[in-house]
Amino acid sequence: MDAIRFTLNGNEVSYSGGGSDRLLEVLRDTYHTTSVKCGCKEGECGACAVLLDGTLVNSCCVAMGAVEGCSVVTLEGFRETERFAVLDRAFAQVSAVQCGFCIPGMVLAAEALLSKNPHPTEEDIREGLSGNLCRCTGYNAIVTAVQNAAKEGNGVW
Amino acid sequence: MEKISRPVVKKDHQAKMSGRALYVGDYPGEGVLTGKMLRSRYARARVLDVKVPPLPEGYFYVDRGDVPGDNNVNIVMDDTPVYARETVEYIGEPIGMVVGPDEKEVRRILAGIEVSYEELEPMLDIRKSDTVFFDYAYGRGDVEKAFAEADKVYQEEFSTGYQDQTYLETQGMMARPEPDGRMFVHGSMQCAYYVHGAVMRALGCGPDKVHILQDVTGGGFGGKEAFPSILGCQVAVAAKKANAPVRCIFDRREDLEFTSKRHPSLCTYKVAVKDGRVTAMDIDVKFNAGAYTTLSAVVLQRGLICANGIYNVENLRVHGQALKTNTTPSGAYRGFGAPQTFFAVEMMMDHIARDLGVDSLEFKEAHLVKQGDATSTSGKYHFPVPIPAMIDEVDRACDFRRKHREYALPQTGRYRKGIGMSMYFHGAGFTGSGERDIIKAVARLHKYPDGTVEILASNGEIGQGLRTTFPKIVANELNLPLEKVYYSHPDTARVPDSGPTVASRSLMTVGELLRRAAIQLRSVWKDGEDQIVEERFREPDFVIPFYLDKFQGDAYPTYAWAVNAIEVELDTLTGVTKILGAYGSFDVGTPIDYNIVMGQMEGGFLQGIGYASIEKMDYDARGRIRNNSFSDYLIPTTKDVPNLQCMLHVEKYPDGPYGAKGAGELPLVGAPGAYVEAMEQALGGVKLNHAPFTAEDALAVLTKEAK
Amino acid sequence: MVNGYAASSLREALELRRTHPEAVPYAGGTDLMVENRPGVTYLFLNRVPELKTITEDDRYVRIGAGVTFTQALADDRVPRLMKEAVSRIAAPAIRNAGTFGGNLGNGSAKADSVLIEFVSDAKLRLVSLDGERIVDVDQFYLGRKKLDLAPDELIAEILLPRTGLEQYNYQKVGGREALAISRVSFAGVFAQKDGKITNIAAAFGAVSDTVLRFKDIESMLLGKTIEEAKALKADYLAAYAGRMQLTRGRVSAEYRKTVCLNLLGEFLTKQGI
Repeated sequence: MDAIRFTLNGNEVSYSGGGSDRLLEVLRDTYHTTSVKCGCKEGECGACAVLLDGTLVNSCCVAMGAVEGCSVVTLEGFRETERFAVLDRAFAQVSAVQCGFCIPGMVLAAEALLSKNPHPTEEDIREGLSGNLCRCTGYNAIVTAVQNAAKEGNGVW
Repeated sequence: MEKISRPVVKKDHQAKMSGRALYVGDYPGEGVLTGKMLRSRYARARVLDVKVPPLPEGYFYVDRGDVPGDNNVNIVMDDTPVYARETVEYIGEPIGMVVGPDEKEVRRILAGIEVSYEELEPMLDIRKSDTVFFDYAYGRGDVEKAFAEADKVYQEEFSTGYQDQTYLETQGMMARPEPDGRMFVHGSMQCAYYVHGAVMRALGCGPDKVHILQDVTGGGFGGKEAFPSILGCQVAVAAKKANAPVRCIFDRREDLEFTSKRHPSLCTYKVAVKDGRVTAMDIDVKFNAGAYTTLSAVVLQRGLICANGIYNVENLRVHGQALKTNTTPSGAYRGFGAPQTFFAVEMMMDHIARDLGVDSLEFKEAHLVKQGDATSTSGKYHFPVPIPAMIDEVDRACDFRRKHREYALPQTGRYRKGIGMSMYFHGAGFTGSGERDIIKAVARLHKYPDGTVEILASNGEIGQGLRTTFPKIVANELNLPLEKVYYSHPDTARVPDSGPTVASRSLMTVGELLRRAAIQLRSVWKDGEDQIVEERFREPDFVIPFYLDKFQGDAYPTYAWAVNAIEVELDTLTGVTKILGAYGSFDVGTPIDYNIVMGQMEGGFLQGIGYASIEKMDYDARGRIRNNSFSDYLIPTTKDVPNLQCMLHVEKYPDGPYGAKGAGELPLVGAPGAYVEAMEQALGGVKLNHAPFTAEDALAVLTKEAK
Repeated sequence: MVNGYAASSLREALELRRTHPEAVPYAGGTDLMVENRPGVTYLFLNRVPELKTITEDDRYVRIGAGVTFTQALADDRVPRLMKEAVSRIAAPAIRNAGTFGGNLGNGSAKADSVLIEFVSDAKLRLVSLDGERIVDVDQFYLGRKKLDLAPDELIAEILLPRTGLEQYNYQKVGGREALAISRVSFAGVFAQKDGKITNIAAAFGAVSDTVLRFKDIESMLLGKTIEEAKALKADYLAAYAGRMQLTRGRVSAEYRKTVCLNLLGEFLTKQGI
């Protein structure tokens, strides 16, 4: 039986557990990338969102067998980038972080959006973040933060 | 903007933004046992036998027989068991817990446990319930006379449903026996000292044998006020038995189904009107408390005090009950009883106005309380009531008066519009004399020789910004840069009891203690020395003492005020309603941080809109909550209310820090009144009596009309 | 790997399907992982290139079963009606993973892309080591979660007509603006030629065990002029009302029925009927 090989935040890793195991649990329990949060395990909240080959997916809805050969990026990896630094400043400026539990998924959703659409409208942003539930903020500050990041990060995306 | 209001980068921003913040589920699992609950399958039954299969080594089954101290959780009363007694009282009640190193194995063992029950008839209807947990009545004037002399008497019934807090981080607690014999309990919570008191009692030990630490907490909204006391006891008992760390994190379904949520309500209003004015209200309030009392007493108190809204009603009689049903115990949720009665009174005033043929806003304005007037409990509105100015602010933001007139005219076509307004207060801080008689908050500042100052208090950062606003107050008073003042998550081994993180009290009450402590420290400050100063709560002199037995006096020292307007567009083919705009003016006194306060207002307002519209949760004929997943219990997404506009109106409170008063709960309270009034317009002027008001409800009205 | 088989070509996938019929075909995972059957073994299809393409022939847009909704949304060949429907599925993360084949294979009447396949008379290409067969989508659904798919077969492609889908009504009724599972969904497609109605297809999703379409009722109006159709409108609507035996779910059966009939009526009105 072959192990499942993939890259996690740029590092090659191989997972010897089951192909039907959830990426979410493997990330948290095996690789201790605990920025990835479990909010529902049903693909309905986005707290566990990660980038799989650059696209946003809910890691609770991904079985390990589907990760073979892929690149997985969590906030642990993304936070080392210049793009993160831009988002970080933008979120800080408008105090968009309250309880923080949705934030890792939200930040990766913002990255996924901006990497495809560097100059989004407010509507684009609301669409891009629509799979990420936040119960604290009412979303306004988060949307503003992403808008500001897009402006200030001109050229980064 | 005042200096104190200027936004700063939140102290917890970096850790949360970068994903480094550790929530209770994030601590490494090595050596930690996972706990999963064995839950009742019946709403009411006698548990005859629990057959636990032989357990592998390192696995334990824990139940009430393992509780070393008292199997009653200390909340307001003590009827909630740590683990179920002889009978179970609701579906999902924890009978026991299986703990062990491997979660899958724990689940397997759990599935293999056989419980035999003798089913008993459950009570599921508050109209029929004969177990009255709490019963209060108060009033003033001569209600009978007012009704006898009335031109017209109105009577209507209003109901509201459950609302789940739906913090993104589910409930989770962890207990660890320490080498020195203490039990260390930490996790997601609002009130470390509540958990402390509860765990002490369950373990039957002294206060120094237990300490409680709040971990980074992924939202609370009231849902982590009392519930963590129960879960804290359960994991502590398990950890004691296993003599190993035990962690229990709820699945989303468990959390939605089995943790406390907002009380469903049934309110009957009988109102006397003479010469176009309301002269009397006779109000009956019923709250569905669920199976145990938890916080129902205090939730009901607040609901009753708000029952006449912000209107002068000379003759008032208010009666309320919290009734037992065999359902998940209801509990604290942002607003705490007030959203239910404010909804009812706002709808009632609206309905009377329309019957009288006058504009509902003008009708409400004619009854508004003002500074110096008596409160419902014969206390006093000591400070200005800024509602008229706030109505104007909201009117300017959305052209309310024009739209309200326009949408009242007959509409045709597929899409129809409506706009509604609500106005209300939130009594700031604990109801009645709780702060003075029960909490007796103590807060300290610890100045270290290097000149940094640590805040020692027990209020938890749950997203509302306390780790930032507390230091801002202290730094401001000490003229220190903000980096020099810090506030960590409370550990009861280190901090005094400054009370729980509830009732929109932390900033107003404890913040003021800290401001005074900072002034004290400033006056005794000696460079290079280790210094500690302490402040204790003092009730402001102006407060008219509150007597709970009579419901008389100042229930709150001051009030936060709000006016909300919501504009909707209804699709008459589907009943689906789009929210075109939601506008709120909020007075929480001086914002200690503009961004933080706006974040609270926007977040709370959206929760309120969810409560009014799409957040429907109910139980079936067996007492099982059906809406137990994120695809069945819907909270707003980024796309549901894109046009959400909040404004701050500042009416300072002299006894709050720099004029600040309670903020957290206010923005949620009024949305149902504004939303449902808007739906009434969109539906052609019908009278509606319940919230949430869903697409299905709207279509039912249209279908009925078509017939 | 443990508990799973990964295929890197369609041939390999079909071989694995034959040798391991118990393995559940896994395309995007968004439904399967929610279901999370204990002890399940998956046949991973996400790396099968033949399933991930969109092509065209003279009659059909051929959407590979492994094509994600996001991929389709970015493709000019995919009809606007289909794009409108899949753009309302959940949210980006789900659309990035969820596939057309998975939406079909899950067997749910709530599947938003399947509704469009029903209303447009799409066909499915099913393949096995023994060859392939083309079935009409409405023949593929045998009942709730029951599909006409042999244990050694896989869904390879959806064949969506290239033309005739220009004039349509589409409406999804969910519980909220995003992350919403359909509570009722409706699609109607209309065409006329020389003043006569040549197509008046109506499909209803999320209201019964399978997507509903009543071709016999549609035929009442086929070949008719708009004026003739107007005269038949009441009978036509009554026929639908009589046939719709809807199930309850998150909303009541009555609500579903009223909405279906309202949207159907609106569909006719919009065509001038």
